[in-house]
Amino acid sequence: MNVDLTIAIIITMVGASTPLLFAALGELVVEKSGVLNLGVEGMMLTGAVVGFAVTYTSGNPWLGIGAAAIAGASVSMIFAFLTLSLSANQVATGLALTIFGAGFSALFGKPFTGKPIDIFGSVFPPALSEHPYLRVFFDYSPLVYFSLFMVFAIWWFLQKTRAGLILRAVGENDHSAHSIGYSVLGVRYGAIAFGGAMAGIGGSCFPLILTPQWVEGLTGGRGWIALALVVFAAWRPGRLLAGAYLFGLIATMELYAKAAGGAFRIIPSELWASLPYLATIIVLVLISLRHKISSSAPACLGKPFIPN
Amino acid sequence: MQFRLEKKLQPSKKMLFATPVLAVFLTMILGAMVFTTLGFDGLSAVREIFLTPIINSLKWQDLAVKAAPLIIIGVGLSIGYRANVWNIGAEGQYIVGGLAATGVALLTHDLSGWWLLPLMGIAGALGGMAWVFVPAFLRTKLKVNEILTTLMLTYVAVQLLNFLIFGPWKSPTSYGQPQTVLFNSDQILPYIIPGTIVQAGAPIAVLIAILAWIIMSRSVFGFQVKTVGSAPNAARYGGFSENKTIWLTLLIGGALAGFAGMLEVAGPFNRMVPQFPSGYGFTAIIVAFLGRLHPIGVLFAGIVLAITFVGGEVAQTTIGLPNAAVGLFQAMMLFLLLAGDVLVRYNIKIVRAKR
Repeated sequence: MNVDLTIAIIITMVGASTPLLFAALGELVVEKSGVLNLGVEGMMLTGAVVGFAVTYTSGNPWLGIGAAAIAGASVSMIFAFLTLSLSANQVATGLALTIFGAGFSALFGKPFTGKPIDIFGSVFPPALSEHPYLRVFFDYSPLVYFSLFMVFAIWWFLQKTRAGLILRAVGENDHSAHSIGYSVLGVRYGAIAFGGAMAGIGGSCFPLILTPQWVEGLTGGRGWIALALVVFAAWRPGRLLAGAYLFGLIATMELYAKAAGGAFRIIPSELWASLPYLATIIVLVLISLRHKISSSAPACLGKPFIPN
Repeated sequence: MQFRLEKKLQPSKKMLFATPVLAVFLTMILGAMVFTTLGFDGLSAVREIFLTPIINSLKWQDLAVKAAPLIIIGVGLSIGYRANVWNIGAEGQYIVGGLAATGVALLTHDLSGWWLLPLMGIAGALGGMAWVFVPAFLRTKLKVNEILTTLMLTYVAVQLLNFLIFGPWKSPTSYGQPQTVLFNSDQILPYIIPGTIVQAGAPIAVLIAILAWIIMSRSVFGFQVKTVGSAPNAARYGGFSENKTIWLTLLIGGALAGFAGMLEVAGPFNRMVPQFPSGYGFTAIIVAFLGRLHPIGVLFAGIVLAITFVGGEVAQTTIGLPNAAVGLFQAMMLFLLLAGDVLVRYNIKIVRAKR
């Protein structure tokens, strides 16, 4: 395999992984606080359509990303209010959020369907971003660098800060955290809002750096794959990065396998398109074979907390 | 002012029945407000979506057609949800059921006889069961979460559908359209009310709901499902196998979704087309919850959701409301229902802020 092709594969892989990485990082924080939000797909769709609409109307992708984050966080508050304040079933409410996001994005996106925007690409000078070798470091959207920064920031927050410790305590033992005076619901509201903002940004990656337009159902189940990734990563940000890039590689393999020709040609494109979903199942199986998932999952995951 | 939740000793029966009705009415009020703020004619939207399909008797046959698959899939899902088994990939099982029935129809295309439809029905149910087999196996043997596996397989089912109708199953006479040949007259569901579009699917759906009600309320299996779901420890103590319950509920859910797929492909479609995945499998999740996971409740909930679908089509032509608006109404309904659950299980106490 030649160097050019390898570099091209890396660049496509990183791009395809970035939305997953954002959404999964957000969900990781949510789950660490003891909440299971299955609405990631819905929040991503909301972020995707709002991010597209704002970028299209303002011409400024930064505004689009900001709006996507706010939109994702806003819809996540519906989930937060129902599950935290009204202690509704988290699984059902998460599903409802996904259905809501799909409906909202389809309705809101209707007038924007088929309209083009510019790809939010590299901001480095061409000498770097188009350099045959150095472009492997510089030919990315600022969103990509931001996602990498967030991997580090979330690791640092969870492991090295007092606030991160409190968040983990709330997820591991809500009643103890409550009895020593921390607001369990307050922490969880915050975590869910953060998760919503990250899913919104992840969704906005689709129109901004992958396919520069809005199509209904644009995220194609990536929100669900993000949920699986959190399990795969055993709730650790570093492993999440590896997992997301692995999925990015699988999702982009079709392009390069087709180019390679030979035996790959007879594999129907539908099988390639199924690969990320099949890989998700296989990965879930592998983790469960290797170690007990329950040992690394936050102890209070998915359980409602009622202060008394 | 703040409020505090206090658990009721017994879930309120009254609220259990009242909240779904309340949720539907609140959806109409809130929906009118939301759509007015979005710049639509909110009041007309609510009238067209929720009332026109009921008032206009010409729309009743559409209701029957749309409600049938929703009820059949919803009944299957509700049995699983009762046992805390979260199959959310009914859409995939519905697609594969439709594909299996199509396969049989294509193989027997030159034959005739009354037995073709039952055979397609069995194939549909088996197809749905096959699609849920892997999630059931992984959940019981390896404790792999069935939410993710059933959903992932839905995306794979769509690809399988595309592969078949763009490839080996493409009709040679369709001028390049990705679709199969039309089924023969013995492979198409009979019309039960002359002069309408109501086919055998509608009465079958009612029958399935009643049958499921009898099984769930009168049989040991029904008791087992409810016990495993609401009191897993008691179920274990009583000797009910959790794994067996998971297997059975998932297979029933898959079989019913697959069977609904067969009824659709042999009913309104008459052939397999790319538009076959219509989202019934996802909407049936709302149907199951709105019906309070009770087969008869699901029957009514299926009709309510069918009303919104039919009404959505009406609103699209009369006031130009995009079809996607219906999805928003449906999601709103589920949100409000889940919010209403708090009234079933808790007493709300108003607490004045302490000084």
